[in-house]
Amino acid sequence: MTTPPTPASTADATHARRPAIAPHGVAGAAPAPAGHPELAVRAAGFNSWYGQFHALKDLALDIPARKVTALIGPSGCGKSTFLRWINRMNDTIPGARAEGTLTLDGGDLLDRGMDVVELRRRVGMVFQKPNPFPKSIYDNVAFGPRLHRKHSRTDLDELVENSLRAAALWNEVKDRLKSSALGLSGGQQQRLCIARAIAVGPEVLLMDEPCSALDPRSTASIEQLIRELETQYTIVIVTHNMQQAARVSDVTAFFYEGRVVEVGDTDRIFTNPANKQTEDYVSGRFG
Amino acid sequence: MALDLPTEIVNLRRGLLAMGAATERRVEQMIAALVEGDIEAAQAVKAGDAEIDAMEVELEGQCMRVLALGSPVAHDLRFVLSVIRISGDFERIADLSRGICKKVIRWSGSAAPEGVPEPLAEMAHATREMLADVLAALADEDAERCREVRRADRRVDALNKEVVAASRATIENSVEDTAHAIDLMQVAQRLERIADIATNIAEDVIFLVEGRIVRHEK
Repeated sequence: MTTPPTPASTADATHARRPAIAPHGVAGAAPAPAGHPELAVRAAGFNSWYGQFHALKDLALDIPARKVTALIGPSGCGKSTFLRWINRMNDTIPGARAEGTLTLDGGDLLDRGMDVVELRRRVGMVFQKPNPFPKSIYDNVAFGPRLHRKHSRTDLDELVENSLRAAALWNEVKDRLKSSALGLSGGQQQRLCIARAIAVGPEVLLMDEPCSALDPRSTASIEQLIRELETQYTIVIVTHNMQQAARVSDVTAFFYEGRVVEVGDTDRIFTNPANKQTEDYVSGRFG
Repeated sequence: MALDLPTEIVNLRRGLLAMGAATERRVEQMIAALVEGDIEAAQAVKAGDAEIDAMEVELEGQCMRVLALGSPVAHDLRFVLSVIRISGDFERIADLSRGICKKVIRWSGSAAPEGVPEPLAEMAHATREMLADVLAALADEDAERCREVRRADRRVDALNKEVVAASRATIENSVEDTAHAIDLMQVAQRLERIADIATNIAEDVIFLVEGRIVRHEK
């Protein structure tokens, strides 16, 4: 079914001749470009390895556009690994490689010739621990847009404001945009990271346990933000919190030992899952 | 206080089955009172109602606690919802049995009517069988057996019609027996309700097992 792993020092692809993903618009104001199809990310017969370790096995998963998809499963089941392939974060891990089909908007994500900087503009990532740059609030948000193109001062101001508004942070920071981002609370820092991610006009937002370092109130505000953002962005969230997956996602995929055991509407997964392993996991019987 | 969901689910299950057994006992006593004129059994049903009420309140409290603190999902969630519904159903069955027993006690104080008509006795036994079947199906989470219980309800409905027709005929033919004939119709109506509730429980068990609401399906 899968080929044995071969030594590789970087992320690899077997479909190198496929066209690279076309550059997508310019980094304008926060809203994502309209018009991308109903299916954002597709994995089929997807396998990945870390050296000899076969981390993802024959994965098939369709991630719908402008919806929230939650990836759940016990530690080490491959959900974060899968997330990191979507914006090629695994490229930085020696020995990580992948085969099979993984596409974004139909474009091959495994294409060796892909511009990963452009990819990461289209696919933003929010990490478990808020990681603002040791810069001002303003500069954190403006960092990405400045990197991608030259903006006038007015345009940049507008973009920063729109991004902070979209991340539900503007009212709390509008009077101290020049203050250090490190002075914000954990929840505010995480919303700043979301603002930073959406400032470059991505289509997809990947969130790897975005609330696990936050208190319940900050968690609630991030969850509300996720629900607001899903009208414009495709969101993929990895979470260990079953209730969070149930609250924020439209679709839930249960990963176990490198495979997708079951995927379906979140309502169904949490009320009447088809698979016994899914049932046991969401009910807290294992994992 | 910490809550261990699997333990709580086991406790709820135990409590629900205990309440089911207590309800079944009331129905058996009610039938003994109705069919055999066992007044002691009728008194016991009347006196035992508070126990059933207390069990329902206890289970409801436990369910609320599990929902608030245990965040049950999937089968656990369906089970908790079923416990709330089914415990309410048991309580209604016990209430209806008590109503029948009160009539039997009243009959015993007056010029005693000679037994109950055959269709009514048969109805009582068929209703008890439905309840016994649905309790077994609940314990085993057996959806197929629940479908049989749903089908059995038709027999009880047919017997009810027989009792009503016979009572009407009695009223037409002998006016002095009107009061007792009305009593018999009311008893039949209560038995028919008990059978309906047993059917509702069967539908709740199907929901518990299959996650499908079949209540409004023919």
